[in-house]
Amino acid sequence: MARFQAIVGAENCIFEADQLVAYECDALPHLRGRPGLVVLPKSRDEVVQVVKLAYASGLPIVPRGSGTGLSGGAMPSDGCLLLGLSRMRRIIDIDLDNQRMRVEPGVVNLDISKRLAPHGYYYAPDPSSAQICSIGGNVAENSGGAHCLKYGFTTHHVLGAELVLADGKVVELGGAVLDAPGYDLRGALVGSEGTLGIVTQVTLRICRLPETTRTLLATFPSTTEAGNAVSLIIASGILPAAIEMMDKIAIDAVRSVMGGAWPEVAAVLLMDVDGTLGEVEHTAERASELCLQAGAIELRRPSSVAEREAMWRGRKSAFTAMGRLSPNYIVQDGVIPRSQIARVLREIARLAEHWGVRVANVFHAGDGNLHPLVLYDAALPEEAERAERCSGDIVRLCVSSGGSITGEHGVGVDKAAYMGEMFSDTDLETMNWLRCSFDPEARFNPGKIFPTPRLCGDRPGHYVAHPTEVSGQIGRG
Amino acid sequence: MPALEAYEPESVAACAELFTRAAERKLRLGVIGGGTALGVGNAPSALDAVVFTRRLERVVEYAPEDQVIVVEAGITLARLQALARQNGQWLGVDAPQASTATLGGLVAVGGFGPRRARYGAIRDLLLGVTLVRADGAVAHGGGKVVKNVAGFDLPKVVAGSLGTLGLIAEVTLRLHPLPELAATFRCVGLDASGVVQAMLALRRAQLEPSSLVALLDSHGRFELGVRLEGFQKGVERDAARLLELPELTGKSPPERLSEALAASYWQRAETPRTACSLRIRINALPTQLPDVQKWLEPLLARLEGGRLVWYATLGIAFVAGDPGDPRPVAAALASARGAAMWAGGSLVVDAAPGAVRAEIDAWGPLPSAFSVMSELKQRFDPERRLNPGRFVGGL
Repeated sequence: MARFQAIVGAENCIFEADQLVAYECDALPHLRGRPGLVVLPKSRDEVVQVVKLAYASGLPIVPRGSGTGLSGGAMPSDGCLLLGLSRMRRIIDIDLDNQRMRVEPGVVNLDISKRLAPHGYYYAPDPSSAQICSIGGNVAENSGGAHCLKYGFTTHHVLGAELVLADGKVVELGGAVLDAPGYDLRGALVGSEGTLGIVTQVTLRICRLPETTRTLLATFPSTTEAGNAVSLIIASGILPAAIEMMDKIAIDAVRSVMGGAWPEVAAVLLMDVDGTLGEVEHTAERASELCLQAGAIELRRPSSVAEREAMWRGRKSAFTAMGRLSPNYIVQDGVIPRSQIARVLREIARLAEHWGVRVANVFHAGDGNLHPLVLYDAALPEEAERAERCSGDIVRLCVSSGGSITGEHGVGVDKAAYMGEMFSDTDLETMNWLRCSFDPEARFNPGKIFPTPRLCGDRPGHYVAHPTEVSGQIGRG
Repeated sequence: MPALEAYEPESVAACAELFTRAAERKLRLGVIGGGTALGVGNAPSALDAVVFTRRLERVVEYAPEDQVIVVEAGITLARLQALARQNGQWLGVDAPQASTATLGGLVAVGGFGPRRARYGAIRDLLLGVTLVRADGAVAHGGGKVVKNVAGFDLPKVVAGSLGTLGLIAEVTLRLHPLPELAATFRCVGLDASGVVQAMLALRRAQLEPSSLVALLDSHGRFELGVRLEGFQKGVERDAARLLELPELTGKSPPERLSEALAASYWQRAETPRTACSLRIRINALPTQLPDVQKWLEPLLARLEGGRLVWYATLGIAFVAGDPGDPRPVAAALASARGAAMWAGGSLVVDAAPGAVRAEIDAWGPLPSAFSVMSELKQRFDPERRLNPGRFVGGL
């Protein structure tokens, strides 16, 4: 303890039980662990020293950004060292001409775009938590957001990173210049959920703001018509910047927060098309026609920036608004092929009925990333368990439809049990090789992603029972 | 030396079988797709067998509504594009030699063409990969949907790994809708800083070209090609704005090319990536073209038929030419590499005659994270049997 205090200062070390509580979970509060201590370094050098000391002391390290993750990725393992990076929030430099920017990991996502806006630039990935989530966390989770259909995910916008390895060595992955020789380790890092090392600096690609953006809100009699509209728009060759769908329960939740500005219907599509003025005039008009063709009841186009922002605020507040409808809910993040949206939504409704719970759907329709919210009341007997089961069936439905268990929230602790539904043992073993190449002793974020503890055997490529397994201390499979 | 064995497996299962046997016999293996990029990297230190992927040519799955296609690795880029085109789609990768280059090969080299400016390189469109490992096991990474963060991003690591981690047997790719109209504009007589200014002016104007390349002419000036693509109405309107940008006027105002002239321009822009016996690339920042040109002057002066193309929004230069005397050419390469690295970039060799190779490593000094790369290779291929010595640092 004293030695960690000596590195970062006593004020940046937390070990009193009542203060540690705040760090027991991320945005999935039912997954909790009690860290041994929390350390909040302010610089790369401090991170290096902390990591070295933790390594020498045999302490596992769990990194944490703003704690907004939805998969328990920042959930501490009991007794671990929780490394909070929120005090490393310098913007190091901005190179507008080359569309590059270097930041520390604690910089908040939205602050980047705010800083760039006066120059006519922005940072594209926009997770719904952009106002508080950190770039370091975005790198860990390969965060998406509503606008990644057209502009890509964090992995498309992170060009380089400085990484502190388990032994304290600092390495550069990628960089401001494209295609650095060697394996694309930056590609491996993004989305690795804090299991490879501690990111102390990130080089981002920044984008010029589009000439214009048009927002369109279309209402539909049901999600089937809304799903058909999405298919028609995509088939027409339009690539909307974002295209979001909400069903009746989700709309009702948003209405309870936003009031009458939101319509009282069974399905809504909220869409942005952006680009040059010439392009957007065409795509906005065409998208409107296609919505009507698919059976839209009403089309709303915001007449002011404020109105547009209100529409998007409604969408982005959907999760929080759900609290008005139900005391508890489970957020799922499964992905399905876009063409199967209508069918899968019907299946989800059937599952909800089967398990006797309500499921709200608010999701990124353009890329088939569903966010079913399974509502339940923990105070009622067995309801939590039924919700849990329903939620598991939804994940399996996504996988059997050719999709994924998670589109942007990450696996973390929450979905580790489902990894085996999507990947074979060989697949998981191969992934583990990647991890072991960076962190052979699995010091960073242990217990995440993989369904069972995986160790870095001394004979790569062949399964070797670990001594602890032989002695019965751990199990597999 | 015993003759090199050659194999042409017809399925992923046959590849797995072959790799399992090869593991038992400890054969060192090279994998060949279309053979368009065999010069990339160093020559393998030794091979016992080569595996041709050309019979891996099945389309595994294509759901046009989802704009996703799964193909075996031996399919050529041209065939994939023809197939996608029937559904009004394409893969946003316009790498050279499409009729020969295979998808597996393009993934192995991290391929791209001028449209990378809009669509990214193949790494950015690669959703999933099936890898036959050195031990013969078949591993899948990624998925079949555009958005997926389940587990580590194996496809990213496989992209650009030059067959040193396993045989790329199947790939899943994101497709895009074909644009309704393409229009190419040419600006001649720009100097290097003029090219940078033109790039910045297009961006200031919020025009979004899908390609922006500059081809060096014989007078040390550049011929800039700008391609706008999208819906007809949008392209026409953007075209009018583009033609008014003063920064695009070099010796004369920019001109819109006919379809035939445009095709010929883009073909010429490809030759620095396909012609001659020596080919290299320099990666730098987009604003560094004036420096890049300076670094390359001594090299270009020593090459027969030397040529250069610059991908202006990406900061990538491709240079080709035929070296006469290998020594001074290697020296010019080394000094250009030194300058590029000093400025934060890199120079890699895509093809070279043996006499030049003997003087210079294809990749240059070890990257900062080489220890991790080396560990990675060790875990995927502990006996170093896959393309040994071809990759960075002899991996």
